[in-house]
Amino acid sequence: MRIDIAADLNTEDETGFVWTFLDEATDPSMIRSGEVVVAGSELTPAVCEVVDLVEKPVGTIVHLRILPGSVEQYRNLVHRIGA
Amino acid sequence: MSDDSDPREELRARIRPDEPVPGDALVALRGGPDTRSLISSHARRMNRLFVLDGSPVWGISVFVALDPTGPASAESILRRRLLSYELVYLPTVGGLRAAGFDLLPTFGRPHFTVLMSGLELAPALFDALGELQENPYPVREGGPPA
Repeated sequence: MRIDIAADLNTEDETGFVWTFLDEATDPSMIRSGEVVVAGSELTPAVCEVVDLVEKPVGTIVHLRILPGSVEQYRNLVHRIGA
Repeated sequence: MSDDSDPREELRARIRPDEPVPGDALVALRGGPDTRSLISSHARRMNRLFVLDGSPVWGISVFVALDPTGPASAESILRRRLLSYELVYLPTVGGLRAAGFDLLPTFGRPHFTVLMSGLELAPALFDALGELQENPYPVREGGPPA
């Protein structure tokens, strides 16, 4: 499975959201606020919403909200509705 | 030591000042599986953003079950914060300390950072996490409670 953006889904900052760096995305151009992405690692993928992007001197931070449901459930949903 | 031109942020400013030192018997929860390589990657990410007292810092995140009930309980952590993980590590705080790793209460309760003095300790930290165990509240059964 391809991960849109690498992250440790255990981690959080003062916002309470998971954070990672934008340049760890497979395609940084698709990481936008409100976008739904697969984040984590190949061993621990999860469907997440991009909350915001915050510019820092060391790079752009991406905040992620982990959404309920597994990647497989989302895949099954898309298959079921024929999208 | 890092100088004033270091663009990284100070982790000390994110420590909860009134948090009591967690007891050795408390359980630290972390979703997995991890690998030695992933531990290094996560620790490197922290090192890129933060310093601790002006010096380089490496670490990974855990949630410590500080209370028997409520948001900082093991059940709540498993149901909510670790909702995407079917498998979890459940080392004790004492076990992590015995392996040489200190914990800092960082950001929101019950988040902690397990500190590493360098990336060369990633294999030891991976070993200290212990065996993977099943999350009894897997997301496949409906995710977090309403």
